[in-house]
Amino acid sequence: MKPPLILICRCEEVSMEQLETAYQSGSCTSRQLKMKTRATMGACQGRVCRRLVEAWLRAQDPHASLDAELLSCRPPIRPVSFGQLARGES
Amino acid sequence: MTSKGEETDLIIVGAGPAGLSAANKAAEYGLRVTVIDEFPEPGGRMLGQFHEESGHWWVGKQIADELIAEAGRRGVRIRCGVSVYGMLKVDDRFEVSTSIGALFAPRVLLATGAAEIPMPVQGWTLPGVMSIGAAQVMANVNFVKPGRRGLIVGINVLAMAIARELSVSGVSLAGIVLPPAGPLAGAAAKPKDNLELLMGLSHLAPSPILRMGSRIARSCNLAGWIANFFPRKGIRMWDIPLQLRTAAVSINGNERVESVTLAQVDAKGEILDGSQWEEPVDFVALAGGLYPLAELASVAGCPFIYTPELGGHLPLHSEQMRTPVEGLYVAGNITGVESALVAMSQGRLAAASIGVDADAIGSGGDRIVAEAMEEVGRTRAAALIQFQPGIAEARRGIYRLWQETIEVGV
Repeated sequence: MKPPLILICRCEEVSMEQLETAYQSGSCTSRQLKMKTRATMGACQGRVCRRLVEAWLRAQDPHASLDAELLSCRPPIRPVSFGQLARGES
Repeated sequence: MTSKGEETDLIIVGAGPAGLSAANKAAEYGLRVTVIDEFPEPGGRMLGQFHEESGHWWVGKQIADELIAEAGRRGVRIRCGVSVYGMLKVDDRFEVSTSIGALFAPRVLLATGAAEIPMPVQGWTLPGVMSIGAAQVMANVNFVKPGRRGLIVGINVLAMAIARELSVSGVSLAGIVLPPAGPLAGAAAKPKDNLELLMGLSHLAPSPILRMGSRIARSCNLAGWIANFFPRKGIRMWDIPLQLRTAAVSINGNERVESVTLAQVDAKGEILDGSQWEEPVDFVALAGGLYPLAELASVAGCPFIYTPELGGHLPLHSEQMRTPVEGLYVAGNITGVESALVAMSQGRLAAASIGVDADAIGSGGDRIVAEAMEEVGRTRAAALIQFQPGIAEARRGIYRLWQETIEVGV
């Protein structure tokens, strides 16, 4: 029986299985996992799944770095419309 | 509608206990303060919090109302339903990008609080599954029952406190169970670790078994033994079955939550063969704990440190609540997950530091900061709810790091 599908990143629909595949193919830092799978790159910008990706990685490799720079936050950190962006220009 | 070019002395992001307390104090020092919050009304998580404390009820909503009334008297501007999506320091002032336009100030205080860590279980994307905090907001802020009968997955301080609130609000709970063992849950799925956590909470426990049992167990280091012999059916805590030997396997349903498959587990969290059964519920609350919500500090260029005792990644800051970015301050759960009372005293401390830096206090400012620091220490020592053990030690480590790097100018 196939193992059950557990979604990690809901915005980008990345499952634990996909993290596993990416890790096996050589993505061994949280940043590489993000680049490979798009986990943490959706509408919520990793607010929900960032900790899950890190916890999952630590379970594979207890020495994996959790440096905040690996999954850094970039603006816009909330969904924003073009209209809002235009109004906010200084 | 556009607030282009709006300028003030201090922008505070977050209208919770830390942000509002800081706003009132800073306004008292004569600063013009604008508070921004995403939620439609101010108060932060205090809006839904209440718990029993030595015989009387601590009601967060009342505290929030008092702070909001004071803010009104002091001329603090509170703008709710406004999201901040970025910030940038240009010359000596910050440009804060919000959903209603840019705001400008030479100083910004981040009091953004904490966010919830999810606890994925197979089926956790079904409608009817929510975070424990969402269940709290539905029941205590919006007065809507999250469902007819629910189950909480994950055993931690937040889960216990909110389970109690839900039960008082008349929401029926089938129980509090462990998450499934695996790479996401880690120690949270192990009965022994949970028992150790509960021992740290035993002063809150209404059950004599937990209260007495944990005292004996702690002195004899019996956590492992008790985990093995913990009643299979759990014990009732505030009328909610606390099931330390039961884990959620999957959440089931076609269009929405209809049931949860549960199983008995051994002391290590491994499922016992043939022990699975289905529990009919129509909502599930996932409790994975809290982490400091610090995206804006990251965007502003603040360095981070990883401190598990305080909830994970947090912006480096001094005991006076300054960050290495000049003009940027932090207070409340963004500096580590603690209770609302600690957040309030941290807010007042941050305001004192801001008052000194802005030359708003005059002579005696250093004494006011020192007194505010002592008050934070006293509040922390007296806190009823400790989210993690070792908070005070972890904080000393952060302040030491600050002194060794920022103050000596590394």
